[in-house]
Amino acid sequence: MISESELAALRAAHPRVFRRTAAERRKLALAWACFCGGVALGLWRILPPWEAFVAGLTKLGFLVGFMIPPTHGGHLGQMLHGLGETLAMAFLGTLFAAVAAVPLGFLGARNVLPVRPLHFGLRRLFDGLRGIDSLIWAIVFVAAVGMGPFAGILALAVPDAGTLAKLFAEAIENVEKRQVEGIEAAGANGLERARFGILPQVLPVLLSHVLYFFESNTRSASILGVVGAGGIGLQLAERIRLDDWQEVAFIILLILVTVAVIDLVSGWLRRRVIAA
Amino acid sequence: MSVLGVVLFSIAFFATAVIGQVDPARVAAGLPNIIDYAYRTLPEISARQPFTDIAEWFWAIDIWLLLILDSVLMGFIGTLAGAGAAIAFCFHASANLAPNRLSFWIARRGFELARTVPELVFALIFVFAFGPGPFAGVLAIAIHSAGALGKLFAEVNENVDPRQIEALAATGAGWSETMRFAVLPQVLPNFLSYGLLRFEINVRAASVLGIVGAGGIGEELYLVVRRFLYSDISAIVLLIVITVSLIDIVCERFRHALIEAGPARPTR
Amino acid sequence: MLELIGLTRRFGSVTAVDHVSLSIPNGQMVGIIGRSGAGKSTLLRLINRLIDPTAGRIVFAGQDITALKGKALRDWRTNCAMIFQQFNLVQRLDVLTNVLMGLLNHRSTLLSLFKLFSAEERALAIRTLDRFDLAGAALQRADTLSGGQQQRVAIARALMQKPRLLLADEPIASLDPRNGKVVMDALRKINREDGLTVLCNLHTLDTARHYCDRIVAMRAGQVVFDGVPAHLTASMVRDIYGMSEEELDQAETVTSTAIASVASPLAA
Ligand SMILES: Nc1ncnc2c1ncn2[C@@H]1O[C@H](COP(=O)(O)OP(=O)(O)O)[C@@H](O)[C@H]1O
Ligand SMILES: [Mg+2]
Repeated sequence: MISESELAALRAAHPRVFRRTAAERRKLALAWACFCGGVALGLWRILPPWEAFVAGLTKLGFLVGFMIPPTHGGHLGQMLHGLGETLAMAFLGTLFAAVAAVPLGFLGARNVLPVRPLHFGLRRLFDGLRGIDSLIWAIVFVAAVGMGPFAGILALAVPDAGTLAKLFAEAIENVEKRQVEGIEAAGANGLERARFGILPQVLPVLLSHVLYFFESNTRSASILGVVGAGGIGLQLAERIRLDDWQEVAFIILLILVTVAVIDLVSGWLRRRVIAA
Repeated sequence: MSVLGVVLFSIAFFATAVIGQVDPARVAAGLPNIIDYAYRTLPEISARQPFTDIAEWFWAIDIWLLLILDSVLMGFIGTLAGAGAAIAFCFHASANLAPNRLSFWIARRGFELARTVPELVFALIFVFAFGPGPFAGVLAIAIHSAGALGKLFAEVNENVDPRQIEALAATGAGWSETMRFAVLPQVLPNFLSYGLLRFEINVRAASVLGIVGAGGIGEELYLVVRRFLYSDISAIVLLIVITVSLIDIVCERFRHALIEAGPARPTR
Repeated sequence: MLELIGLTRRFGSVTAVDHVSLSIPNGQMVGIIGRSGAGKSTLLRLINRLIDPTAGRIVFAGQDITALKGKALRDWRTNCAMIFQQFNLVQRLDVLTNVLMGLLNHRSTLLSLFKLFSAEERALAIRTLDRFDLAGAALQRADTLSGGQQQRVAIARALMQKPRLLLADEPIASLDPRNGKVVMDALRKINREDGLTVLCNLHTLDTARHYCDRIVAMRAGQVVFDGVPAHLTASMVRDIYGMSEEELDQAETVTSTAIASVASPLAA
């Protein structure tokens, strides 16, 4: 098709089409070496010995077999109570977070309180709160206030208050100035300005965020019980410890259904809030 | 509507308050406990010998850093494996690309299942099967990430330019070749951006999965909490927060670079 | 020889292509004209089998194309390359890779998926690009080229398929007159030099008159004229477009008249 001489001529005329330049090759080799090194290090720290892997896989196969069919084993009432606790934790955790986040968000917004150090300090506080996972908050609160859903509520509320406050502050910083100025022109004081000039503008955004957090908290709340912070997670962890796989499967299904239903309801509400 | 809303909200509030065992007396009793607890975790750092005190506070820093490294590696490998699975099946899960209805349905349901079951539940099961250690955690992270990323990737795929796909189909290219050369170049920057975001999330997850025995720093944290080693708690939590923030900052840089990556870049 | 026998395609109640019967000898350059919505694009897409006919048959060199599947269908598509109005290059890939896409059906899928192309294949791509003065742009990203350059890259991609037939759907409708001329000249060049049959949808009558051996006019899915350009009389034009050729010239963008002024007289 293409003669040797023509190939040689084309190669000479367009060397980069046939081969990368030395610099490109070096860069590429370095990138691959870094990537492969990272993967190798990771696998070395993580992979179990081969026998353990095979044994685990076999055990996993058995477990899935043991799960069928899922049953509640006469503990339906107890499970539903755990599920109720989970929902209650998600609801109140989100609610408390939102209630705390509104004033925090106002204080953290640059256009509300133009005091730089305060603004900076508050933002770092929000980052600190949300930088710690709710499961860590849960073990801390269980230690502080004892086992039960109350610890779970706090564990959900604290990091979310940080995140929501940050989102609120950003939403408030993006409000239309003209409306606020209109209220000011009417002779409003600071609090009235916030209540009538800013709040109506940011409320839909805030509500939408809050609903979204309720959805995600329903998932989180379903596992906090593992460390004793209430909800269905405690029962799940217990069943796994007791080798009761049919009931484990049943609880997982319950969680899946609940999460799906909450997603649907909250998605519907969110669309309505945004449309309004 | 709004009256009904208020009534429903009030009912929900009181019902959940009862179920959630929120009683004001307990809140009042708990509050000082919390403050006391927080106070105890503060390290004793005197002005006389601050550095010695800080060194004392982080007395096991070598062990902790190694465990944190493990958590980061768990997040990295888990994200990589999850993203790999997501890329492999996201084309099947896109309505505009799926080769047939059956593979579309299977891919969609598979991603949904992997995404909806919380990571920690997978971790509990895998710890039971494979024994305690990071492998169980990585597996849990990988499966959950595959589900979460698969859904996002499929959504990105559904917005690609169909003309480029048609052009490749018209050359006689097969399905996999069309995905590779007509779809992947269009979506790869988005995939990478979502992958980095997921990596940030997964490092957080990896730092707590140890609580159920799935490796990383979480296990150590749970241990010191249960043994009431107060200053160790604050030290470990601080290390986690710093690591997570650092990774967030680095990933955010990368993501911005990806978004701003302009044209005129030879891609060979 | 390409034969269409009673070819029909319906979209719901719309009959886009209505009992079209044509036979096109090898090496002919055919212009297909007609108003927007006449069914020109649908006809070409039927021939390439990007869409399936409702009724009728397509026969090429004695082989029935109508019901080909899988590998045989892809081979047919490779055999009849397609050019599009919007060029449909993969925007984020470089020109060289875009041209190499024409080879996908001829080579190992695994090698393709890892983008491994041999020196011969690259040389072939460069040589093909060189025919259209684009070898220098081989490593540039496709979206950095002008429209005219992109369309010539698309033609190079088509030629890499080693097709017997070239289908061009409004190849110059998105180009300015100068670039339109360059692209039409390129099409005629490959028609003359490579002996390829070219079927070209054109939105301007004078371009068709200038470049094509034969003109097929469509209206409402049916062929209403089929013959050499000289036989296309004023009354027929009025019949096809619902207006006279002068009115058509006025109604059309400057493209059509301008291209006539720059087009060289048909080479004998
Ligand atoms: N995918 C499709 N779905 C429904 N109708 C279509 C489709 N493609 C084309 N049509 C219809 O078929 C007719 C012919 O379209 P087309 O072949 O694109 O015409 P032309 O290329 O001559 O402008 C038009 O009425 C168009 O609306
Ligand atoms: Mg058309």
